[in-house]
Amino acid sequence: MEKVNQIVEYVQTNRVQIVTDWSEKLILMDKQRAANVISEKVYINICDDYLDLLMNSYDSQNKISEFTRKIIQLGWTLGFTMDCLSAFGKIVFFPMAEQATEREQVEFILEYDRWISPINIAIFNQYAEDWQRTVSLQKIALQELSAPLLPIFENITIMPLVGTIDTERARLIMENLLQGVVKHHAQVVLIDITGVPVVDTMVAHHIIQASEAVRLVGAKCIIVGIRPEIAQTIVNLGINLTKVMTKNSLQKGIEAALEMTNRKVISTEE
Amino acid sequence: MVARIPILKLYNCLLISIQWELDDQTTIQFQEDLLQKIHETGANGVVIDLTSIDVIDSFIAKVLGDVISMSRMMGAEVVLTGIQPAVAITLVELGIHLQEVLTALDLEKGLETLQRELGEKAWRTNPM
Amino acid sequence: MENESYVKIMTEWDIVAARQLGRNIAKELEFGTVDQARITTAISELARNIYLYAGQGEIRIERMNVYGKCGVKVTAADNGPGIQDIRKVMEDGYSTSGGLGAGLPGVRRLMDEFDITSSLQEGTTITAVKWIR
Repeated sequence: MEKVNQIVEYVQTNRVQIVTDWSEKLILMDKQRAANVISEKVYINICDDYLDLLMNSYDSQNKISEFTRKIIQLGWTLGFTMDCLSAFGKIVFFPMAEQATEREQVEFILEYDRWISPINIAIFNQYAEDWQRTVSLQKIALQELSAPLLPIFENITIMPLVGTIDTERARLIMENLLQGVVKHHAQVVLIDITGVPVVDTMVAHHIIQASEAVRLVGAKCIIVGIRPEIAQTIVNLGINLTKVMTKNSLQKGIEAALEMTNRKVISTEE
Repeated sequence: MVARIPILKLYNCLLISIQWELDDQTTIQFQEDLLQKIHETGANGVVIDLTSIDVIDSFIAKVLGDVISMSRMMGAEVVLTGIQPAVAITLVELGIHLQEVLTALDLEKGLETLQRELGEKAWRTNPM
Repeated sequence: MENESYVKIMTEWDIVAARQLGRNIAKELEFGTVDQARITTAISELARNIYLYAGQGEIRIERMNVYGKCGVKVTAADNGPGIQDIRKVMEDGYSTSGGLGAGLPGVRRLMDEFDITSSLQEGTTITAVKWIR
């Protein structure tokens, strides 16, 4: 207990010096990552905030989350944050331990650890929690813009796909697609992949599966929006898309769909 | 005692609507009954409606596929109708594609498909 | 245990019983309709494998809750002859019974996690897990 007080006292009396030393160290450490966009003042503020946490309110969850949020906003990675906090330990420890015996040094380390660990752990937990929340929010956001199904004519619907398709999304798309086909009583569905940046084996596989499933429920599937580079990758990858009807543009697709349902677009006479 | 799936005759087509969960015995019994019925009636179209079925595993899929090939061999075209989205997805993920099988959204569309495939033959009462 | 239910597989009828149990549990856990079908179909495949190759065994269905993730775990266990070449049965289209050979690789695709252990003359245990999205 005594040692803790000693450390706290040392930090309190030398606070200004520590903040200066520490923030300088951080700037050095951070320079490799980001070009000089963040002003020195920011580092000093962070260091100051951290010392506040240590000195006054290390049991206050609010203060900790506020501090963590600042770090995240600065774009500090968890790894860098850990490096920073361990740099602080060195700055405090070395000057203090200079004149101490080996035994005292060990005690210092133990006490220091006992004092500072709960706060650091709380910061890391908070960091991870915030991060996780962001990820799950983004996941929901992504799901929301996942694949709407638009009926355009009687018995014809379109599903425009935008963005990267992973396994999870592919499943969602497939479910929406099939449920939509049955709901709208579609005979032909057009899947527009104009907005899909990369079609690799996996994506192609999902598209083939989707069109197979569409056929099983009793409708037909046309893939539209095959750009030249996509046609090239598909063939180069050795993917067999011959079982699936494909068209290069949405317009051609719609024409084909109308034809399949015995209709066509004609211009009215003036 | 094995439950039997009723097979209805409509003009020159056979209609089957499977209303309850298929077990292996019923499925095999159905295969025999349908082929027998095709033989008796000389039907040249069959519609099997699967709207109420929510599970098709690889065994049932195999029997269905077999029934379709056998019926074709006997001169009857088969259309499967009303396969539920969940069932379609599961089949595809299982790796069962039922290639070459005609499908339609519902019974009505299934009959239309048959009519298109068979032309006039589907509605002639007496195959000559 | 409340979280675990099981069906003994001895006759063909038990296959239907096993998948009905699976469907009920999947429904209770509020899986989507497609996932319900995936789980039920997987159970059907596993139960049929037991019936076809081991004669008898059991299907256990457990509700899972790990780190806040909920799901269902299906275990198919038998004391049958075991599987000689696991790699081979996991290949698409491989069948010793004249079936479609879609069984086990299909189950792996339907579920999120899949594990198989087997030793000759002692039996086979297959576990498969599906998580709620």
